[in-house]
Amino acid sequence: MNNAVMTRASCLALVLALAGCATGPGGGSIYVPVGGEDRSEAPEPPRASGSEQNAEPRVWRKSEQPEVREPEPPATRSPSYRETGDELPAAAVSLIRDADQRLKQGDSNGAIARLERAQRIAPRSAEVYFKLAEAYVAGDNLGAAEQFTLKGLSLAGNDTRMQRSGWLLLADIRRARGNVAGADQAETRAQAL
Amino acid sequence: MSKSRSPRKKNSKPQPGRKRTGVWRFLFRVGAVGLVLLAGWMVYLDAVVTSRFEGRRFEVPSRVYARPLELYDGASVSASGLARELELAGYRAGDGVRVGTYQRSGGRFVISARGFRFPDGEEPRRRLSLVVSGDRVQSFSVLAGPESPIVRLEPAQIGGIYPSHREDRVLVRLEEVPELLPKGLMVIEDRQFYEHFGVAPQSIARATLANIKAGHIVQGGSTLTQQLVKNFFLSREQTLVRKGNEALMSVLLEWHYEKDDILETYLNEVYLGQAGTRSINGFGLASQFFFGEPLKDLDVHQLALLIGMVKGPSYYNPRRQPERAKARRDLVLSEMAEAGLITAEESARAIARPLGVSSRPSYTDNRYPAYIDLVRRHLARDYRQEDLQNDGLRIFTTLDPAVQSASEVAIRDTLPRLARGNTQEALEAALVVTAKDTGEVLALVGGKDPEFAGFNRAVDARRPIGSLIKPFTYLAALEQADRYTLLTPVQDRSFTLEFDDGRLWQPRNFDGEERGEVPLHLALSRSYNLPAVRVGLDVGIPRVQQVLRAFGVTTPISDYPSMLLGALSLTPADVAQLYQGLATSGFNTPLRTIREVTDADNEPLSRYNLKVDRVADPAAVHLVQYAMQETMQEGTGRSAYNVLPQRLSLAGKTGTTDQGRDSWFAGFSGDLLAVAWVGRDDNGPTVLTGATGALPVWSAMMSQLPQHGFSPVMPDGVQYHWVNAGEQALTEEGCPNARLMPFVTGSEPRQRIDCEGQFGRQIRSWFEGLFR
Repeated sequence: MNNAVMTRASCLALVLALAGCATGPGGGSIYVPVGGEDRSEAPEPPRASGSEQNAEPRVWRKSEQPEVREPEPPATRSPSYRETGDELPAAAVSLIRDADQRLKQGDSNGAIARLERAQRIAPRSAEVYFKLAEAYVAGDNLGAAEQFTLKGLSLAGNDTRMQRSGWLLLADIRRARGNVAGADQAETRAQAL
Repeated sequence: MSKSRSPRKKNSKPQPGRKRTGVWRFLFRVGAVGLVLLAGWMVYLDAVVTSRFEGRRFEVPSRVYARPLELYDGASVSASGLARELELAGYRAGDGVRVGTYQRSGGRFVISARGFRFPDGEEPRRRLSLVVSGDRVQSFSVLAGPESPIVRLEPAQIGGIYPSHREDRVLVRLEEVPELLPKGLMVIEDRQFYEHFGVAPQSIARATLANIKAGHIVQGGSTLTQQLVKNFFLSREQTLVRKGNEALMSVLLEWHYEKDDILETYLNEVYLGQAGTRSINGFGLASQFFFGEPLKDLDVHQLALLIGMVKGPSYYNPRRQPERAKARRDLVLSEMAEAGLITAEESARAIARPLGVSSRPSYTDNRYPAYIDLVRRHLARDYRQEDLQNDGLRIFTTLDPAVQSASEVAIRDTLPRLARGNTQEALEAALVVTAKDTGEVLALVGGKDPEFAGFNRAVDARRPIGSLIKPFTYLAALEQADRYTLLTPVQDRSFTLEFDDGRLWQPRNFDGEERGEVPLHLALSRSYNLPAVRVGLDVGIPRVQQVLRAFGVTTPISDYPSMLLGALSLTPADVAQLYQGLATSGFNTPLRTIREVTDADNEPLSRYNLKVDRVADPAAVHLVQYAMQETMQEGTGRSAYNVLPQRLSLAGKTGTTDQGRDSWFAGFSGDLLAVAWVGRDDNGPTVLTGATGALPVWSAMMSQLPQHGFSPVMPDGVQYHWVNAGEQALTEEGCPNARLMPFVTGSEPRQRIDCEGQFGRQIRSWFEGLFR
């Protein structure tokens, strides 16, 4: 019954193998080391905020609620968001490759253990979750597979290829679970991209 | 079993009319029957005592490990953090060539890793080279051993536990015990221990004589073996039958087991005190309980005190009866000197020392008692009892030593600064830190003295959560995108609610002010009470309850409107669970402390995988996350940036209950979610709010750890628009009052206002703002 899903999942694997070219870690969110931790080194020069392509427009707002301790000059940022999830660091890519090997050998538990390791390293990258979904399809746990697909989709951002893969995977999983309406809906979403 | 009668007392009926030989035959028969019965009785006693002994022999504790540190290019760790982690895992500073050593110069490390058998496979021996710069691993390479872009160090062992027992035990091995302990014990309690066969008739005779002379019991003639047997059956009853049974069992024990086995079990079994309903058995636990130190580190005077207490643990209780205890200890010390175990000078020096008892009793030798406590509960919840009875289990937890250390330091350093005098004395705190996206509990502190195993507030203190409930109320509203957006004006005006029974309820703002109409995002980020209640009543309490349950509240939730201001009692760990769903855009992840448990042969017991469960619409959660970020930047949480770098984007929520009885803060960065609570155990008032009590603790912890800022991926169905916050209208980037704000697609304002404040219907150019 899961053959169709498996086929689709394997297609996904191809897509991800292409997409998963190793990149530097971090991706979208700003990494903030602890200030002045290693005194032996010269203090880190103040970084120009422009270097982080995330410089938010500056909006001056007066604090409105009186409080005992006034903090430093008011915040000059607005709430942060981004349009894509993290890209995979090389370490996570190697774990995913390892997981793929296990999956081919029919060891879905071994694959899941490696993917969970990858997920700890890259918890905000959609690929890892789609891969986990794939491993759960192989392990015949479609409920978990659907949830991981949804989680991956929530991190796909504006990456249409990633989104399409996710929606198609979701459609197949839902169909295999007997949720025809949900499957059609997901398919429509994929086609609209 | 003490009810059984001695078989020899049983009567046979006399047979009258027989000759003298008949009497002898009769007596012989009675004797024979008696012997048979006695033999039977012995077999019975033997079974009882050996099974009890087997149950109490030294058990191999389960080893508890911290999470292994993963090293790869880009891994988040500071140089000092890595050095500390290496020390914890038993590495020594050295040449980095010998296995188990590391060489550090500044940020450059060469590590000769030992390798480790993980449940999912072997991590072979390797020599690694890496540079830590900007709190990140760079130039990672394998110098020797199999190539890999990612390597796990062996995990630090953080404790030993006995998972099939409900309580922590501190068992010791004979060879690890200071030599003086068994020797001193024998001098005081049983000089012939290595010679006798379980009972010592001479000692009994001597004791009897002494007791007759004194007219009451002054001496016991019990051997250590007899005392051990007595300990097994814990009864103070002193009958002859009982004594007889004890003597028989002692002989039987000696027959079955080596002296050293008996001695080791004695050391772990003997009763040495009482703490409430819990009895303090064994020298290992007693050492922790009275001195807060491991047995092997005790000095002569401390050992002598414990030896002296065997005679009467409550009579010589050093906390309650310090003078008596000291007299007894000094007697033991002089006896030890007399027997030649220590010199006269050593004895005199020890006698001159105070008792050295710690002021607070400790019940464990684990360094992270609160965390281990939660591990223990998760074991009991998730694993089968019979699996946990195996010897030598390995328990792989999710504890992150760096985060745990930062948490302990944060509480220790911050709490004394929060209040003065009596309040400061009474102030307590708890902190739970989890990995935002995995639900793994990285650190847990259960009180202001983190090494003290007592009341674990992080998992047992159930307190009203106050304003921490508000994000869920607004989430329930924002899920109805046709009715509520972040810009929707809500009423910050007081009102009175009349219940069916005529009672009145009139909620107020914390500052007593009313501001009229405010946009929803501001009402949340400033934590105004009146709009929260109004919005909650508008969407309906049942809907808010539904959201809370979906996010993980399992306890009953009140139906009264006061619930909208946080009349819901939860533990800090519960709150961490609740906020996990908010931090991960609507995906619930069960909190866990255990990654895996294996038996001694590395065979995994049942495994608990990562689970995610979508419990809310990610679009609506994204809007709540926006307001929670605003809380940190300009709302009630902004004082966090007194200690945290501005570049670290955060989201969070403060919570305060009446008269500062509870000060809460729950918040998250890109990597970590943490919940801090500050308050008093007696539920007394404090001067604190969420922002002045729990938030400083939270920030102090966060400020010690390198991490990613919070920057959620814009989910499907959300669009950002520049809006004029005061006017319910779209505007241009750069206009006064312009704010870039997320909307569920289609719910953005229709009107448009230009920089001069003129409304107009220009061509919509919002996607310029979207792509910046």
